[in-house]
Amino acid sequence: MTSISLYVDKKSIVHDVDFLTKLIYCCVFIVAPIITGAVILGTFSFLVSLILIISAGALKKLMPIAALSLFVLLSVIIIQSAFIQGYHDVLFTIGPVHFYREGLIHASSIVVRFLDILLAFSLIVLTTHPADMVETLQRKGLSHRIGYVILSVFQIIPQMAQTMKTISDAQRSRGLETEGNIFIRAKAFLPLIGPVVINSLIGTRERAMALEARAFSAEVKHTYFRDEPVYRYKTPVRLILLLLLIVSIAWRLL
Amino acid sequence: MSKARNLWRVKLNTASIVLIPAAVAINYIGKLFAEALKLPLWLDSIGTIFAGIVGGPVLGALSGLINNIIYGLTLSPASAVYGIASIGIGVASGVLAHYGMVSKLWKVIVFGIIVALVSSIISVPLNYVYYGGQTGNIWGDAAFAFLNAHHVNVILSSFVDNILVDAPDKVVSAIVAFAVYRVLPKRLTILFDNSQETTTLD
Amino acid sequence: MSKIIVKSLKYKYPLTEALALNGLTFQIERGEFIGIIGRNGAGKSTLCAALSGLVPHFFKGAYGGSILIDGINVKESKLSDIARKVGIVFQNPFTQMTGAKDSVTEELAFGMENLAIPKTEMVRRIDDALRLLEIENLRDKNPFELSGGQMQRVAIASILVMLPEVIVLDEPTSQLDPQGTEEVFKAIKRLSNQGMTIIMVEHKTEKIAEYADRVMLLDQGQIVAFDPPAKLFSLSNLEERGVRPPVFTRVAKGLDIHDQVGLYPVTLESTVNEVQKVYESH
Ligand SMILES: Nc1ncnc2c1ncn2[C@@H]1O[C@H](COP(=O)(O)OP(=O)(O)O)[C@@H](O)[C@H]1O
Ligand SMILES: [Mg+2]
Repeated sequence: MTSISLYVDKKSIVHDVDFLTKLIYCCVFIVAPIITGAVILGTFSFLVSLILIISAGALKKLMPIAALSLFVLLSVIIIQSAFIQGYHDVLFTIGPVHFYREGLIHASSIVVRFLDILLAFSLIVLTTHPADMVETLQRKGLSHRIGYVILSVFQIIPQMAQTMKTISDAQRSRGLETEGNIFIRAKAFLPLIGPVVINSLIGTRERAMALEARAFSAEVKHTYFRDEPVYRYKTPVRLILLLLLIVSIAWRLL
Repeated sequence: MSKARNLWRVKLNTASIVLIPAAVAINYIGKLFAEALKLPLWLDSIGTIFAGIVGGPVLGALSGLINNIIYGLTLSPASAVYGIASIGIGVASGVLAHYGMVSKLWKVIVFGIIVALVSSIISVPLNYVYYGGQTGNIWGDAAFAFLNAHHVNVILSSFVDNILVDAPDKVVSAIVAFAVYRVLPKRLTILFDNSQETTTLD
Repeated sequence: MSKIIVKSLKYKYPLTEALALNGLTFQIERGEFIGIIGRNGAGKSTLCAALSGLVPHFFKGAYGGSILIDGINVKESKLSDIARKVGIVFQNPFTQMTGAKDSVTEELAFGMENLAIPKTEMVRRIDDALRLLEIENLRDKNPFELSGGQMQRVAIASILVMLPEVIVLDEPTSQLDPQGTEEVFKAIKRLSNQGMTIIMVEHKTEKIAEYADRVMLLDQGQIVAFDPPAKLFSLSNLEERGVRPPVFTRVAKGLDIHDQVGLYPVTLESTVNEVQKVYESH
């Protein structure tokens, strides 16, 4: 059973940092560039996150995430620099399409902001165990029922993907057409997804009963079997991050 | 009055809680199958719509929110932001189902269109912040580029971009969710109804 | 002293007209092993749900009469309080895993976390349960990577660590292969030997005859008989009630081999005994 979590199970100085501190990092490194509006600061934040991800040994898992956004970013650059009205300064021309300098500058600021947000989030997700994230939030007051939901999705999705493979093989061997023109393919959708969906929904009844049998609805303050991760430098690191935020606000105001 | 109060009841029973991961997984599987069959739709909100239909707007909203948190944690950290649109889809589904919009096929189609409107209205500002107004879908973005080139304002073009992609997607998703709802025994779906109470026999 | 006291228990699921349980009255003593049998739809699962509080707290519906377990009234208590007294195990091992934990030890800890048991105590109870069910070697495995029989024992262990006084098992082996079935029965036998009260629904009547102190036969939500296995399986109209007596009993009935009071043997041992008596008398 492969987990769908992006977590990279390694040891590094980034992994040692506790979830809340990383969360603060993420907020500061997203908010500060937006407040100051300086592209240079955005680029800087993005590079810092990248270096941290590399030093945590998680670059390989970052690649697919980045690849997913590549297409979108490309289309942003093309459309923003070539199709938005009101620009004059033509930088270059491909066929009938003019690319404007102002548009390209605007597009690059969008791209930087996007990458900055993407990497800041990725840093957390790649280097924090999901159970540690959820339990940290639970200790801070997140309902344990919601915590349960988040963690169980990580297991349920790979299971369903497995069932999905079995069922689609079975349906195909029964002669269901999954290739051809769009109508043929669209018609295949319901017979494929139906059984998986119905199965999983029927299973919810017994799982819910099993949870009740394990005191899921108890209204007491929980204890935790996993030990709470402690980070030695949490106070100084958090202070530095806060300071960064204050400086960027001050920069904006001055 | 009491009917309306039930609609927005926040305390969810355990069956509803367990439905949320299943709903998120259904979203995910829908998306995988749509990609595998190379359909030009996302079909990644069937579970959220279903949760709204059987459990009401609160359960729908929660399924949508958790869905995007999970996408954020697994597929693309940036997509967590679109959680707000997913919440809208869940709430709209719950409210529409409550007012009887899931009884006939034509109603389900209208249901899908309204859900698409809601999600587009929410997505537009997000797209604007993120991608300068685009959606990342080829057809929608082509329309966006076309409208922009013809002096239509960015917000409106962005909205058209969204709704072009969203309306067919949500209509098909709603029909699938509705089909599943019809197939499941009532004795199962009633477990997700948080307004049930025990009565006394003598 | 009686442990479980059920008085004129009636129950109707939501949206239905017929009573799934129709006036049950009985008692179960501490440490007894009770088998429940009956045709499909007889009300066995509903009774299990009622004993563990899922009826009515999970299913809602209409409820009459009462169940007292160790002095607490099931209808008036919260599910999480009932869970400390009564544990329940279902058919499908898969759906009983929480799905939120990625090792067997964490899976076992789930119920105790909910009950706010301190960590040191959790560790102690987990070790005990793993040892009792002979699954110590699985402690760090992902629950979903286990075989059905192993997973079902994890499900039992995860109930056991909550230290209930009664364990209800609703067809715990019906989805397992023969080996898994054997493993699970052995585990249940061990729990019973420890003095735990066991209530088990099971179609394999040979197993019921071997383990149970008393057997309850249900039909249409009512108790048809509630007797020791030898007496119950000697009843003449069992097949009409959708129950197949143990194979030994069927053989003995065919050969008309019974003891002095007219009861047929129900286990291998008692059959051999009776047959021997017949031989010797010839
Ligand atoms: N969730 C439910 N809603 C409505 N009726 C139910 C439900 N579960 C079971 N029943 C009905 O209650 C009766 C008893 O069912 P059950 O206790 O499951 O029987 P058994 O376990 O002996 O096969 C049957 O008639 C069944 O159809
Ligand atoms: Mg049953």
